[in-house]
Amino acid sequence: MPASLEQAARRGESLTLWPRVREAAVALLRQTGRDPFAVVGVTIYAAFAVIALLADVIATHDPLEIQFLASGKLAANQRPGAAFLLGTTSLGRDIFSQLVYGTRSALFVGLSAATVVASLGTLVGLVAGYFGGRIDAALMRIADIALSLPFLPFVIVLSAFLGPSIYNVIVAVALLLWPNTGRVIRSQVLSLRERAYVEAARVTGASTWRILFVHIAPNILPLSFLYGSIAIGWAILTEASVSFLGFGSSDVVSWGYMLQDAFTSQALSRGQYNWFVPPGLCIVLVVVAGFFISRGYEEVFFPKLRD
Amino acid sequence: MRQFLERVLHTLLVLWAVVTILFLMFRLMPGSPLAAYLNDNLSEEQQQLILQQFGLDRPLYEQYVIYLANLARGELGVSFFQRRPVVDILMEAFPNTIVLTLASLVVAYIFGVIAGAFLAWRRDTWIEKTAVPIVLAVRAAPEFWVGMVLLAVFGFGLGWLPSGGTNSPGAAYDSEIERFLSLDFLRHLALPMLTLAVYLQGLPLLLMRSNMLEVMHDEFVTMARMKGLSEWSIVIRHAARNALLPVLTAFTIGVGISVGGNVVVEVVFSWPGIGRLLVRAVSSLDYPLAQGAFLLIALVFITMNFIADMLYVLLDPRVSHARVA
Amino acid sequence: MSLLSISDLRVHYRAESGLTRAVDGVSFEVPEGQIVGLVGESGCGKTTVARAITGVMPQNAVIAGGRIVYRDRNLLELSRPEAKALRWREIAFIPQSAMNSLDPVYRVGAQVEEVLIARGGHDRRRAAARAVELFEMVGLDPGRLRDYPHQFSGGMRQRAAIAIALALNPKLVIADEPVTALDVIVQRQVLDTIKTLQARFQISVVLVTHDISVVAYACDQVVVMYAGQVVESGPAAAVLDRPVHPYTMGLYNAFPDMQSSAGMLVPIDGSPPDLSQPFAGCRFAPRCPFARDDCRLSGVENRPCEPGHSAACVRAAEAHQLRAAAREPATWLRS
Ligand SMILES: Nc1ncnc2c1ncn2[C@@H]1O[C@H](COP(=O)(O)OP(=O)(O)O)[C@@H](O)[C@H]1O
Ligand code: SF4
Ligand SMILES: [Mg+2]
Repeated sequence: MPASLEQAARRGESLTLWPRVREAAVALLRQTGRDPFAVVGVTIYAAFAVIALLADVIATHDPLEIQFLASGKLAANQRPGAAFLLGTTSLGRDIFSQLVYGTRSALFVGLSAATVVASLGTLVGLVAGYFGGRIDAALMRIADIALSLPFLPFVIVLSAFLGPSIYNVIVAVALLLWPNTGRVIRSQVLSLRERAYVEAARVTGASTWRILFVHIAPNILPLSFLYGSIAIGWAILTEASVSFLGFGSSDVVSWGYMLQDAFTSQALSRGQYNWFVPPGLCIVLVVVAGFFISRGYEEVFFPKLRD
Repeated sequence: MRQFLERVLHTLLVLWAVVTILFLMFRLMPGSPLAAYLNDNLSEEQQQLILQQFGLDRPLYEQYVIYLANLARGELGVSFFQRRPVVDILMEAFPNTIVLTLASLVVAYIFGVIAGAFLAWRRDTWIEKTAVPIVLAVRAAPEFWVGMVLLAVFGFGLGWLPSGGTNSPGAAYDSEIERFLSLDFLRHLALPMLTLAVYLQGLPLLLMRSNMLEVMHDEFVTMARMKGLSEWSIVIRHAARNALLPVLTAFTIGVGISVGGNVVVEVVFSWPGIGRLLVRAVSSLDYPLAQGAFLLIALVFITMNFIADMLYVLLDPRVSHARVA
Repeated sequence: MSLLSISDLRVHYRAESGLTRAVDGVSFEVPEGQIVGLVGESGCGKTTVARAITGVMPQNAVIAGGRIVYRDRNLLELSRPEAKALRWREIAFIPQSAMNSLDPVYRVGAQVEEVLIARGGHDRRRAAARAVELFEMVGLDPGRLRDYPHQFSGGMRQRAAIAIALALNPKLVIADEPVTALDVIVQRQVLDTIKTLQARFQISVVLVTHDISVVAYACDQVVVMYAGQVVESGPAAAVLDRPVHPYTMGLYNAFPDMQSSAGMLVPIDGSPPDLSQPFAGCRFAPRCPFARDDCRLSGVENRPCEPGHSAACVRAAEAHQLRAAAREPATWLRS
């Protein structure tokens, strides 16, 4: 066996998943520092993460509790002020507190959907790309089909049938979004498969699963991260739409729920901008943060990704 | 030719798969709407009739065959609640959706293509540097929320435009065309169209910009400069013409996506289109109608994807000749 | 009388990492009605010189000095409209890769006619007739005017590029590696076409190539470039027969003769230097088998060694002995 192959094999053997994950994470962070867009994106994410974690502290009221004025009257449709920072809903609920708790469900939906999308997509991409042949053809056909389902209508029908729950939105998003990740990972695996150190590992008799998860998987982690970060935005947008249409869960406060509440309670005709503008802006911020982050990485890690 | 046939076959296969998924979804899901429907105060006879009508008293595989056979004949059943053939209801709503979709796409793409080409031409200027993040932010905004804001401002606040529907009550027209061309309809169309266009312009803009940037580096553009051709000819005739190909494909796919993606905007503006129909059917458990609406949306989506493929072949001489050869 | 005279041309490229001095004091003449070969390895600045003449440069290029005098006018001082008026009517360009230089979405004929109409004042009918004439001139079937670029073979595309270059009867044609992408037989055919048309219309040609055998086959004059500078120049016959600069000798060993495939090929070890670094002394010294200590001391000027023939080498006087040594492959092989 040529010396270089042997070396590569030895290097490959010493690789385990976690150091590589750390490496990928460090590379991502380093990249972030270089790209002003990514810095903005990460900052937005971080800010919302803090708000979500400290929601109990930051919120001034229980988001679903009906508030009363000192006079004992229902505190409905209050203007923004000291008592209610962003005013109240038509049922006397505190809008600011809803907004704060909405961060929590947004990040929950976003992160869990992103995790499922990225893992499912990565797994399928790995298997399809590495084994090729019929498995590949079958998986890619399934991906084609999943991509041929109209996204929002499918999510609507599914969440309506599965019942109103935040988990069902996650499931629906995951079912339809994994193929994008899967396809890209697959093509990456196809090229990695031919690399010297993978070849070397094969020659030294490493098991298939070992090659897949120890040698190949770590190299595609940045891609998985990338597609995960795109999925965060999609999931949050989708949850908002589903909730807005009334197929969301009514006991979880989300930004989509707030918008639906505002819409059906005539907030528009009453000009209660303080009610329906903030949740929309929050959605814009979180989603655009994902765009900013992925934009930078796409250019640096995979300049020709789009072809 | 072979590729074409393969593509057709693939499209048919996908269509079949989607139809099958839909069948399974509607029959096997927990909370199947049938139970709710049959619990109505219908007589035993009526219930039997409906069960037979939909073949619901038979085993699943037989139901599946009946379902496929019905679909093949364009038979989508009768709406539970409207008591009318689903096809008729769909055909009433469909033109509204198509008009809204096409109008907003055309506006969005004309704007996006011009703005994208302009930004590429003025690359690295402050205009370009501020415009790109703004476009990204606009794309990140939920369509229904943009619709809500526009509605609150222009519909309710300023009172310039009507707040929903397609026509003022009481208006009557001789034909659909006449209705679509009436000032009243256009005034109703303005806000939902603007809402969709605000969202849709991002893709052609970004696509056009990045394609142009790429093409402007191509050697034939340099050659055009060396030939002393006018800037207009270089940017429009050569760069833009080449950069436009993928944008046209995106437009075609966009038609397919929007027909289903319009759902939320149709709801905000009470636009009587397919999307709103689907939402209503799903919430009222009108299962034949929901199924029909979903199928129609999926059919348009898949067809437009297919056409986009074919269009690319037609418009790019490199691809068309490669396929023929 | 020279049609074009370049003196002390300096062109830099700006980049984040610093300045690349791609062309660093280049001077040469292009006599009326002759083919001047600009030869050197890749990365020596040939394309930069060629593009500076056409006036269409990459965005990050800066002309840092020198003159490019075309018929008594310094091209570097022309106003935009003046420069534009000269383009293609007086100075045309044949690119290396005609595949990329033809617009893929238009028929070749349309692209020939485009320049005739936009820049030559032809109407549609006359343009179409002239396109047929041009195609016949370069040895292409006028029926193929209706084809798209991708339907052409490499040689045909190069011929089409020649037809487009000659459309407006230019006085000067800059050809940047016009045959590099072609196989040897087609190379000769295309060069023959260029030679024939050049003689027929008394055009001056600057023929850029990294292949000295192309120079030997087609050129009247030769300018050898190394690391952004001219190291040797003169009549092709003299320079190729009696090269004075070791780099020219090395290039000669590195390429097969176009006429016969005999002879052993010996490449010059190493590669041209990074042009963003400062230099002291002869830039070829690190690769030169004849380098002495004094070569590295100070800049080496181009000095005449026989009429019309000059070179920049401190050992120019010993050229005869060096040539003999250079013929030995062993001279060029490093351990
Ligand atoms: N647009 C550019 N930006 C920066 N450097 C460049 C650019 N074009 C060429 N160069 C550099 O300038 C030097 C000369 O390039 P070029 O003129 O293309 O040489 P040649 O045609 O002889 O191969 C090379 O080092 C090359 O890397
Ligand atoms: S000057 Fe010296 S190093 Fe340079 S080419 Fe002549 S002999 Fe070689
Ligand atoms: Mg070159």
